[in-house]
Amino acid sequence: MANELTIAGEVIVEPEIVQYIVIKIGDEQYGIDIKYIDNIVRMQNITRVPKIAKYLKGVINLRGEVVAVMSLRLKMGLKDDEITKDSRIIIIKIGHDSIGIMVDSVKEVVNIDVNTVEKVGFENRDDSTFVQGIGKQENGALISLLDLNAVLSE
Amino acid sequence: MDVGQYLDIFLDETKEHLQTLNTQLLALEQDSENEDTINEIFRAAHTVKGMAGTMGYKRMQNLTHDMENVFSEVRNGSIKVNASMIDVLFQCLDALEEYLANIQESADEGTNDNEPLVKALNDILNSKGGEAAAAPEAKAEAPAEAPAEAASEETAGGNDKWKSITLTPEEAKNLEEQKAQGRNIFGITVSVQENCLLKAARAFLVFKAIEENGEVITSTPSSQEIEDEKFELDFSVIISSDVALEKVIEEIKNVSEIADAVGGPYEAVVASEDDEAPAETPKEEKTAVATTTTEVAKKAEPAKQAPAKAPEKKAADKKPQVNRTVRVDIEKLDVLMNLVSELIIAKNSLVSSATASASQNNSFNEQIEYLESVTTNLHESVMKVRMVPIESVVNKFPRMIRDLSKKLNKPMELYMSGEETELDRTVVDEIGDPLMHLLRNSADHGLESAEVRAERGKPEVGSIFLDAYQEGNNVIIEVRDDGNGIDTEAVRKKAVERGVMSEEQAAALTEDEVVGLLFNAGFSTAKVVSDVSGRGVGLDVVKSKIEALSGEVSVKTKLGEGSTFTVRLPLTLAIIQALMVVVGGEKYAISLGNIETIEDILPSDIKTVQSKEVINLRGTVIPLVRLDEVLDIESKRNPEDSMVVVIVKKGDKLAGLVVDELIGQQEIVIKSLGKYITKCKIISGATILGDGEVALIIDTNTLF
Repeated sequence: MANELTIAGEVIVEPEIVQYIVIKIGDEQYGIDIKYIDNIVRMQNITRVPKIAKYLKGVINLRGEVVAVMSLRLKMGLKDDEITKDSRIIIIKIGHDSIGIMVDSVKEVVNIDVNTVEKVGFENRDDSTFVQGIGKQENGALISLLDLNAVLSE
Repeated sequence: MDVGQYLDIFLDETKEHLQTLNTQLLALEQDSENEDTINEIFRAAHTVKGMAGTMGYKRMQNLTHDMENVFSEVRNGSIKVNASMIDVLFQCLDALEEYLANIQESADEGTNDNEPLVKALNDILNSKGGEAAAAPEAKAEAPAEAPAEAASEETAGGNDKWKSITLTPEEAKNLEEQKAQGRNIFGITVSVQENCLLKAARAFLVFKAIEENGEVITSTPSSQEIEDEKFELDFSVIISSDVALEKVIEEIKNVSEIADAVGGPYEAVVASEDDEAPAETPKEEKTAVATTTTEVAKKAEPAKQAPAKAPEKKAADKKPQVNRTVRVDIEKLDVLMNLVSELIIAKNSLVSSATASASQNNSFNEQIEYLESVTTNLHESVMKVRMVPIESVVNKFPRMIRDLSKKLNKPMELYMSGEETELDRTVVDEIGDPLMHLLRNSADHGLESAEVRAERGKPEVGSIFLDAYQEGNNVIIEVRDDGNGIDTEAVRKKAVERGVMSEEQAAALTEDEVVGLLFNAGFSTAKVVSDVSGRGVGLDVVKSKIEALSGEVSVKTKLGEGSTFTVRLPLTLAIIQALMVVVGGEKYAISLGNIETIEDILPSDIKTVQSKEVINLRGTVIPLVRLDEVLDIESKRNPEDSMVVVIVKKGDKLAGLVVDELIGQQEIVIKSLGKYITKCKIISGATILGDGEVALIIDTNTLF
């Protein structure tokens, strides 16, 4: 049986589609795997918590639960957020723990075939530690896929 | 039906019985002649054996069986209790606990046969001499007869519903066949205890016990009805069996919460009358069986009567004491608690919007006040439901101290009080380890060896006390010993040795500060590292664990006289009364439990001592903490004005927190900040205010 496959000489890969939410930080577009996203909320009053890392903005009341909010900008070493009408907080839920991530705006939901994700060629970028690959949209546009583990680690 | 669904009951009850065994064995060690204790032990062991057998845990059953034999001999007075025997028995309990742990994890008892223990038990049995070598078997059976005898007495009293069971023709046919095979036919009426919660489960276990020895021919009510719990307090069965009635009844009584089981040879009553022949034959059979059983009973009676009867009576006395309770999954209570929390938040927001709109409507305000009192009562009730006595945790300590005493070769005694003190279930679950550490610490570091104690003119047996009591919204647990106390000089030396601080620094520390060093990680003054304590992981773990429960721990010590460790725990973790304050435009909550008073202080009253700000409040010098500085925010108060100072306490220390203004007292629901915000020690949590904003809760204990 194995011989037959070799003769065919071609491996057919089933497309493996994952949905990403596209967010914007400045001019850059990032994708966040939709399975980790619990909610997307508008900007609201954030209660400051003293003596914590600068990129942690504080806590908000999310339907009766207290959830920490971090600034993706500050985490990436960019300049501080400017709150506009497009600003959103993306609530990420991993296991039982929730955390909000502040972004400039939320654009759309896209389907990306995991097999087409480029794992190389972006190591020299500033934000490379937080990106796990570059995904190709169906229209050819490129999206940096965020590595949430890296983003959420201290 | 599957035994699996009774696993939880089995685990719970076996744990209770093992705890009883532990407690009673300790009592027996003190007073080896006490008949009540011996009987209690015997009964508990017997029940564990029965339950393990029913659940199919053979190894557990075998071990308890051998233990039971030993107890039985003790009860007869043919073996005297001695120290080595108690040791073996304690090891057996440990082994049983191990089985139980295995069962809890995998529903399987594991493969450890504990042969050395079984052998040790048999050695004890054989040690009483060749003449009695055969006796254990015969004597072990004796207790079985006593209940049977009691049973037949009661039969006369009228609990014989089995006699009125009628058979359908098919059942009668079955009965005939069984009889033809030489089996005995009995009728038995089993009554469960009045407070029994899971009657169907008990009934199932009874059926299972019967089926191990024979076959159920019919039952009243029907087995389906029994399974659906459609019976009052008793049910009756007709069975066929190869073994004696007494044995079957004994097995049935081994099932917990069974009040009684009575029975006798059954004479078939068939629904249709024309079937006379089958009804006739059993009659003869019956008399025959009856005589044999009574003969057996009589033989065993004279020797055994007195001791065997005692436990029966005691069990009867005990019954009314049992509370009417319901076992509830703690998760369901958590859900209920969360809902109450939500309700309080909603109530608070209603109150704040009513105040904001400055409603002059009296009836509206009255209704809101009513709502407030209802929610407060509801909260208290739910809290009370969650409260359990700390007994379940501290019960295991006497045994631990006993073992430690042997291991460390120091005579010591544990005295406990306030075991009935109640705490939130979640706190009780967590408090065991820290208390155990403190007790070990007292036993190992605190108490001196017997020789040293004798030299110092103290009683040779060291004393450790564990006292629990409620004080306001806190529960205090004290661990006290009359040992050596903490040698602060030795601690100072150690601190310098370890490079924690310089000699000058060490010398400058107050006694209290030196004692505080013991709670630092990796600090142990034990000269010899033992496996009891002294690995330097003791007291700092205690401290962090207790602080995680929003409690605190402090020490008082006097060299040569002993130490007292005081653990203070909040009654509840979820909802507290708090004072709301404003600092630099931000709202913060301070637990009312930590607040002593609130003072107005003029800036001119502030003095400086060692470059620290203090105030002199009615003769007490209190350090001042400027909350704006601690919280990294700018105060909006005019520095010339008089200041609002909240005086907070930690143990017997006080501190004054400077705030901008007071908002008032409020009931708040504590929410965790989650795992992403961990670095902020000053903030112990957050709460959601009536207007939906989040306010942080200040942990004043960190400000000292």
